[in-house]
Amino acid sequence: MILRQISRLRGAFMIAGWSGLGLVGLIVALGDFLARFPAGHLHAGPALAPPSALYPFGTDLLGRDVWSETVHALGVTAANGAAAAVLTLVLGGALGFVAMRLGAAPRLFLRWLMGVLAAAPALLLAIVLIGLSARGYAGVAAGLAAAPLAFVRAFDRARSQSRSRRSEYARATGISAATLIRRDLVYEFRGVFLSTAARALAAVAIVYSTVSFLGFGAEPPRRDLGLMIAAAEASYLGAWWTAAFPALFLIALILFARLAAGLDEGERA
Amino acid sequence: MSGVLVEIRDLALTRPGADRPGLERFSLSLQRAEIVTLLGEADSGKDLLLRYLDGSERCDGALGSVRFGEGEVLPAGRRTGLPFRAAYLPPARPLPLSPRASAASQLSRIVARKLECPRGAAREDLRAALARIEGAPPFDQFRRPAESLSDAALSFGLLAAALAIAPELVLCDHFFDGLSPASAAALCSALRAERARLGFAILYAASGPQAVARLGGRAIVLRQGRIVEEGDAEHLMSGQTHAYTRSLFGALPQPLSPAPQRPTPRGEPLLQVYGLLLQSGGRKAPKAPSRHALNFELRRGASLALLGEEGSGRRALMRAVLGLERRPGRIVFDAVDIGLLSETMMLRLRRRVAIVTGADDALDPRMSLFDTVDEPLRAHLRLSEDLAAGYRETALKRVGLHAYDGRAPVSSLSPFDRRRLQIARAIVAAPLLVVVDEPLRGLDAIAQTTIRDLLAEFRVEQQAAFLVITSDFAIAQVLADEAMVFSEGKLAERGQIRSLLSAPKTEATRALIAAAARRPLSPAAAPV
Amino acid sequence: MRVALEESGKLALGLLGALVLALALSALSVPGAAHSPRAFALAALARLLAFLRLDFGTSRITDLPAVDMLASHVPVTATLIALGALVSVALGAPLGLLFGSGGLRRVAAPIVQIVSAAPVFVAGLAVAYAANRFLGWPPGAGPFPGPGELLHPDAQALRRVVLPALTVGFAGTAAIHVALRRAAAGEQDQPYRESLRRLGLSALEIDRVYVAPVILAGLFSSLGEVVVAFIASAVVSEWVFRCPGAADLFVKSVALGDWNMAGLILFLFCALSLVIAFIGRLLGGAILRAESQA
Repeated sequence: MILRQISRLRGAFMIAGWSGLGLVGLIVALGDFLARFPAGHLHAGPALAPPSALYPFGTDLLGRDVWSETVHALGVTAANGAAAAVLTLVLGGALGFVAMRLGAAPRLFLRWLMGVLAAAPALLLAIVLIGLSARGYAGVAAGLAAAPLAFVRAFDRARSQSRSRRSEYARATGISAATLIRRDLVYEFRGVFLSTAARALAAVAIVYSTVSFLGFGAEPPRRDLGLMIAAAEASYLGAWWTAAFPALFLIALILFARLAAGLDEGERA
Repeated sequence: MSGVLVEIRDLALTRPGADRPGLERFSLSLQRAEIVTLLGEADSGKDLLLRYLDGSERCDGALGSVRFGEGEVLPAGRRTGLPFRAAYLPPARPLPLSPRASAASQLSRIVARKLECPRGAAREDLRAALARIEGAPPFDQFRRPAESLSDAALSFGLLAAALAIAPELVLCDHFFDGLSPASAAALCSALRAERARLGFAILYAASGPQAVARLGGRAIVLRQGRIVEEGDAEHLMSGQTHAYTRSLFGALPQPLSPAPQRPTPRGEPLLQVYGLLLQSGGRKAPKAPSRHALNFELRRGASLALLGEEGSGRRALMRAVLGLERRPGRIVFDAVDIGLLSETMMLRLRRRVAIVTGADDALDPRMSLFDTVDEPLRAHLRLSEDLAAGYRETALKRVGLHAYDGRAPVSSLSPFDRRRLQIARAIVAAPLLVVVDEPLRGLDAIAQTTIRDLLAEFRVEQQAAFLVITSDFAIAQVLADEAMVFSEGKLAERGQIRSLLSAPKTEATRALIAAAARRPLSPAAAPV
Repeated sequence: MRVALEESGKLALGLLGALVLALALSALSVPGAAHSPRAFALAALARLLAFLRLDFGTSRITDLPAVDMLASHVPVTATLIALGALVSVALGAPLGLLFGSGGLRRVAAPIVQIVSAAPVFVAGLAVAYAANRFLGWPPGAGPFPGPGELLHPDAQALRRVVLPALTVGFAGTAAIHVALRRAAAGEQDQPYRESLRRLGLSALEIDRVYVAPVILAGLFSSLGEVVVAFIASAVVSEWVFRCPGAADLFVKSVALGDWNMAGLILFLFCALSLVIAFIGRLLGGAILRAESQA
């Protein structure tokens, strides 16, 4: 009985996930009102002041208000994550379905190329892409780096569908490959678009914040959550709040996205 | 060997979480070696009763009483396992065994558990049981993974495992469903022969009257958990009291008799097949004409049945005709030699083909009802939205799905509704050729009647040519004028169905006719 | 045999792709290669010829042979991944089997999501903070112990290794857990489980004899993804804990534009992932074949 009730909570978790993402959106939209100081404002208070009524998340080594910085950084991470998720969906998921219906040569070539790229961790690919372009494109690089795995999954799914009885039934009644592509794109994405997008957001948010933590992300003075946590490395052992609050916001963003995706088993990052 | 085996009084069962009982005031006195068929639709309570008896359903609030053999009367809610050896016979689909593991290993394990003996001994018991069953495949065939066995072979294996434990009761759960009439008849006679030898009782849950006709004995008709009618199979076959029972038995085709003479269609040839070889692997025609080469034609508006068992070559012919598989020979469809066409051109030609199949995964489960019916119109013609909606509404009305939510996905439909949706899709496609492939497979009695009537109506109104793939002569009789009987990948016999029924020339045809002749078997099925 | 040949073909093609990727990156280290596609193609060809002569070039940062650099850094990464794998197998396999099936699977789903929502670098920092706060361990410093020291580690060596290995282990645990749960999910609602029970087998016997091999085969088939998770977590872990491994070297190489070194390390990681995926698929296939012949 308890197990059944818990399984019914799946819908509730999804609602919680989307509500959480809505809250993130609200915080990002109202960032300038919610933050007491503009992004990167030095010496807003004493250095490494613990959380208090005046500085709810405390201050960092350079006296920046951690609450204000976290709100601004959340906006940067969420915006880059959303852009990267769109790239992953289009260049990964959608292209995977389309590629499966192409002629033999382009189909096999694309599957091979993406298979090779998917054998490398998305994190390393993102680092290489940023190294080849510029740090300002970290969001794009994260999206492109996560795309091969999404492509391979979409391609393999489309391949198993093309071998299914329903595909043969369609072919036997004159339904063309173009119509079957349309079917895949419309129904695969219409039915699960939101959850797929949320799952992609969770995956690329991890990649983006990690490359940023490693120093390949946002360029100072613009900071995202990964860079904030990296900057806190020098002080967090004595002043936990400098790393803990940005980390909690990052975890919340990823968790909300995963809950919104319907408690999916999670993407690799 | 007489006496009561199971005595049930005023049983009421409610599934956990259900708001009303699935079975109410149900009483049954099952004698040793008796055959009782529980007949009804999905929610009739027959499956719940079987689950209650084999202990697979927890019915904590069960009311009434139950007594096994000469034992004491127990409150139904306190029942634990059956106090005697019982065997369970599931249908072959969905696959009841692990698909990848060897069937022999799984069946031996089942026998070993039931007999509480080593697996080696159980394996020998299984081998002996298989050897006793007439028509059963050899034991070695079961060494393969279960998923690679045919439905009929798997059913023989399941039956052998059941018989190997020398049961007192056999619980048959739609055991003959999905099997061809010949396979079902062979299994049925094996079951009856072993019942005569071992003296076990049979409790058979069925959704169609065919099982009553095959097994005989006693039948109990259930509807929404209550008994509607009860009596000897023979009496029920000859006349039913309750309207619901009549509708169930309406699915049973009339005893085979020569079909009425229909006028032969005088239309132009739609499909012409010359020198087609079904058994050859390559695409090139052999230099010398083969005696197994197929030659036939199908005129517009005519209907041809391809009769035979699984693997007899009917589907290979259908795939060749639709250009899905290239085979040696020449096929002309709508005056075009399909051997000369590219895949793109072949697709264009196939737009005038519709398919109604008994496979429930033929339609895309993600698509909505509206999109499924619309697709041939959208993909093949540039019709306005309103015009397409008009055609769609007409088609859905004809099959009785117009009241459904058109945006609901196909996955939410029952197998019966999916079958009707296939017919609606076929109607809007205005096809020249309709391929009908085992259209009644897996449906319950009332659904079978409806689909059969819809197809017959469709044929009359649409004037399309029909290719009917079936193993059931009774279906062929309703939907086709001529038939080709296939056996072991070769054409065995062909002709008007009328002539085939009255004077079959080959053993394959005679076997198919015999399997479809469903006469009550009660004299042989009486308690021994 | 046919399956093994097919898989070998796929592996060969995959390795070829990884080599092309490495060549493309390595070509960027040739001066002027980025100016035009032709110059790039010529540089890639030159690198290919050099690779065929087993000349893998030098590191732009240290001017040392790239192979020597790789040889000095790879043991650290290999140690972390090996120790992390031990932690993962010890934690991930039992957790995956426990929470991967039945009702517990649904109960565990939100918990698994919450735990695995923390990126590896956040987990690494949390581990370092906890070790410092509760065990008094100072943040990672000093040389990373070699294989000899690891066999007889002192407290200093242990402190240097345990935290990064634990971080890699946690990430690997999550990957193994997800792979097991995914494999279990495929078998969760298979109709044969109920039919076999009604035919007379116990639930435990069905799970042990028929379900477990399929889940294990599923895990082996996902080994490539698990290895990728290990590599990604090694990158982060080496960075957080200042371990001089190949992953750390990769990050520094890209940051300083040492594309020859970066290309070689990327090839190494891709090859490792492809080979392990190949072995996993073969083992998974062998388990399923053994089950079918049982």
